Amino acid sequence: MPRGPTLAEQLAAKQRQISVAEFFERNRQILGFDNPQRALLTTVKEAVDNSLDAAEEARVLPEVDVEIAREESGPDRFRVIVSDNGPGILKREIPNVFGRLLYGSRFHANRQSRGQQGIGISAAVLYSGLTTARPVRVTSKVAEEEAAHVLDLVLDTQKNLPRTVRDELELWDRPHGTRIELVLKAKYLRSRQSPLEYLRGTAIVNPHARLTFREPDGTRTTFERASTETPPVSKEVLPHPYGLELGEFATILKQSAERTLREALPKRLAGVTPRALREVLERAKLTGAEAPGDLHGPPLEGLLAALHEVSMLPPSTDALSPIGAVLIKRGLRNVLGELRPEFYAPPVSRAPKVRAGAPFLVEVGLVYGGALPADQPIQLLRFANRVPLLFQQGACAITTAVGAVDWRRYGLDQRGGAGLPVGPCILLVHVASTRLPYTSESKEALAEDPELLKELQLALQVVARSLKGHISRKTRRAYASEKFTIIRRILPQIAEKASGLVGESVPDLTPVITEIMNVVTLETAGPEGPNPAPGLTATVTNYTARPRVLELFVEMPPELLRASSFEPAPDGSEAGLGRAWWTLPKLAPNGHAEVRLRAAAGTEVDGNDLDWYVAGVDEAHLLGAEPLPGDWDVRLPRQLVEAAEAAEVAAAAPDADEGGEVDYDGAEKAAELEEDD
Amino acid sequence: MAPRKPPSSKKTTDDAAPVRIDALNPTLDLAREVYDQLGKGQVPRMRLPLRTKQNIQFQLKEGVWRLGRATGTRSARKLDGALMLLRTFYLVDFIHEMARDRKTSTLRELYYISEQWKDAKFHSEDESNLLVEDLEVLCQRLREDFRLHPEENGASVIGDLTIEETNRKGLAKRINCRDDVGDGGYALPFNVEKEKIRFKGHGAKFVLAIECGGMVDRLAENGFDEAQDALLVHLKGQPARSTRRFLKRLNEELKLPVVVFTDGDPWSFRIYASVAYGAIKTAHISNYLATPTAEFLGVTAADIENYRLPSDSLTDQDTHALEAMRTDPRFATADWRSEIDLMLKNGKKAEQQSLAKYGLNYVTETYLPEKLAEMDVI
Repeated sequence: MPRGPTLAEQLAAKQRQISVAEFFERNRQILGFDNPQRALLTTVKEAVDNSLDAAEEARVLPEVDVEIAREESGPDRFRVIVSDNGPGILKREIPNVFGRLLYGSRFHANRQSRGQQGIGISAAVLYSGLTTARPVRVTSKVAEEEAAHVLDLVLDTQKNLPRTVRDELELWDRPHGTRIELVLKAKYLRSRQSPLEYLRGTAIVNPHARLTFREPDGTRTTFERASTETPPVSKEVLPHPYGLELGEFATILKQSAERTLREALPKRLAGVTPRALREVLERAKLTGAEAPGDLHGPPLEGLLAALHEVSMLPPSTDALSPIGAVLIKRGLRNVLGELRPEFYAPPVSRAPKVRAGAPFLVEVGLVYGGALPADQPIQLLRFANRVPLLFQQGACAITTAVGAVDWRRYGLDQRGGAGLPVGPCILLVHVASTRLPYTSESKEALAEDPELLKELQLALQVVARSLKGHISRKTRRAYASEKFTIIRRILPQIAEKASGLVGESVPDLTPVITEIMNVVTLETAGPEGPNPAPGLTATVTNYTARPRVLELFVEMPPELLRASSFEPAPDGSEAGLGRAWWTLPKLAPNGHAEVRLRAAAGTEVDGNDLDWYVAGVDEAHLLGAEPLPGDWDVRLPRQLVEAAEAAEVAAAAPDADEGGEVDYDGAEKAAELEEDD
Repeated sequence: MAPRKPPSSKKTTDDAAPVRIDALNPTLDLAREVYDQLGKGQVPRMRLPLRTKQNIQFQLKEGVWRLGRATGTRSARKLDGALMLLRTFYLVDFIHEMARDRKTSTLRELYYISEQWKDAKFHSEDESNLLVEDLEVLCQRLREDFRLHPEENGASVIGDLTIEETNRKGLAKRINCRDDVGDGGYALPFNVEKEKIRFKGHGAKFVLAIECGGMVDRLAENGFDEAQDALLVHLKGQPARSTRRFLKRLNEELKLPVVVFTDGDPWSFRIYASVAYGAIKTAHISNYLATPTAEFLGVTAADIENYRLPSDSLTDQDTHALEAMRTDPRFATADWRSEIDLMLKNGKKAEQQSLAKYGLNYVTETYLPEKLAEMDVI
């Protein structure tokens, strides 16, 4: 009796290798090609990320040119050209790098880099082939060769193998670099998720890169380099035991070449000192002579538990490449300068922490005011390993952490005290790690890991506090400027008009002025006139009702102090700390004293770099300066000043504002009804 | 009826001068007060009754809107306050200048005049109008006393009323509003105070205040003023302050009853209300403008039915207006409540001139005599 195929045979007949094309179709969303608009962005992004990584590895300052042009061959076809000044790619590697999925050098490395899966650019090549059937042209030149290789590649979707359809040599004016040109089905829109926004974000966090962009309509945008320091190359490091998972640990031990655990652990894991090793083995009740690959089950689990419990050296942070506070500020200023933000909070770059055996660190920058819209949610710029995250903002741990801060306490509007705040503000958050906890393979959002959230929150609070400080200083300045307008412009005119109407001479306004102000003020002004020498003048005015002896203190960058002279000369100074101080002559009500700073020619004097302090009046009656902080130990006529301040506090006359009275001009007039004439 | 003197004109003497200097004294008191504050080292300030919605109440007893007792302070401690104080004195200065030069100014001109005031320049006409109202409140005077007036002039008057008007040349002109005027009637100037207009005799039994010009013309052409001894006052829609002030003076000084004749719709009811009870915006001078004894003649909702007048359906806006009037304290009487409810129930409105359905004489021969008799006016 003829026997039919067995079930297993039937199934086997159906089994076949899934082609990469099918794989791609099934994973379009994960790969970032689920719609034509996103496909275009993903293509640009993968190419630019590669270019930046390559330049960094070769220690050159990256120069990346991106061009998107409409193709005549179809309404939704675009040509994308990305070229760089990276080291170039050897000819034999070109087909693999661009035409083969899952081929890359970074996939297995335990360090921070932009692309991590080796899927990016080849996915774009595949997408191009699937949507337009046009070959991809790669031009690459290494410094050692005279000419560039130009290869046209087609990806064989059945075999996952690239096919070279053209191979020529060409002269290229660059000493080295790579250029990729592909045609794909796409849609070009200028939205928050456009290639332009991606490049803008990239320029902010890569101030050492020069980026140019040409849009389909011919618009050109250049992001000039704001720094000529290449970021330190991140090193490859061993995995750290903290946060290491069992499966991973087992693999590491299996692959280790050492014969004993005692040898393997310090070599294959980071942070295992001899003392820690002893303690771990003791705790795990192991001798250390066991073969690493033989460990299974409970002993393996016990060993991992011990590794988690015993204190180790923290993981090396060499693998991380933080942008750093200085460069974050420079990058923000460079790219957002045209918005003229009034305030750049000092950026925060937190020390690395460990999560799942991988070091990570959080950096936050904030700009405020200027041309930014005040009535809209703040703009949140998310970055992971210096790559802008443009999608899935709502699903990202960064967004969660921002929303968890009660921004109302720091001067922004926020509905219900949670969620994205509203205000003229851009917030930059960068997370760097050798292994980032993405929510999915599309790498667009970070998972809500408790340790990550905690670090984010701590960093956000620091910039939020500086924002609050800025807003309250601004409020104080507005208050001061209003009062100055009143006493200097309006009040004298009121007096003149009222006196004129009653036919009397204008009375002395000093008592009214001190009554309105009731503060000691400090104002600074830059030098006037054409081509003035660098410098500024600080004026202290006693707008209180009684004479005062005041002390003035200034703190500035020590190099500025060294380059400056004062008129009058300070009564004391501490050059190393950039500090100087004066005891001012006794000031009658409405009286003032000046201190002039003159700096050497060519010195830049930015008023924001100088902090002024005044002693001799309590904080509530001081405007434009701060009371002297406790860590200054230089107050001279101590008894005199302290007595004055004590008297002030004792008097503590609450501001003699119209207490309890309704401000007539602040009250809302009755809405005009239907009757009027 | 008293025999009318022939119209005459004579040059006024200085003591009858059109400038009431005393009207401007309170403005100088303001300057004196601030001057004294400055001398004492006090921060300049003025106290004003608040003109917020909460502080404007309808006085049921008097039947008018009045300002409540709450006050606010305008202080030079705040920039806004300081600027308003400065503007106040610029304004006072300007008013005195106008008085010296015998000039008047429209409110809009005042706004542009402030271009010369540097820091005190107004940013909007609302701002200047509000300051004029503030000055009215502070000085207990009318803006007409300050020689300031709106652009649109007052309405016209037809009927047997003799007035003496001091015209722009300083001449006292005696005018009879029936015999000395054309078909357009006597046009009210913006200032209808005694120094401008004085009543010199009349042969009227009542005042009929009329919403539409067409109806005034109809009544004049039909000789209604002479036949019924009526003084016809054209309201021109929502009446201007001078019109309301003039009606008030006729009512108070000549003891003439005022009857209001309008279209039969919610907007016309409000015209009546502003004549009788005043308006929120002028609550601070209700005692000058409101004529609480003024009565509403029609067209009423009942008239539309009784006289079978051609009508339109109420629009949504009409209905909303009527609904809003249910909570308006001015319409809180039983009569008005039933009038409003009836109009809402019937869903109809009608114009004054729809009475022409029965011919051109119907309004003067039938409708008005019937209604006025019902109201005991004739």
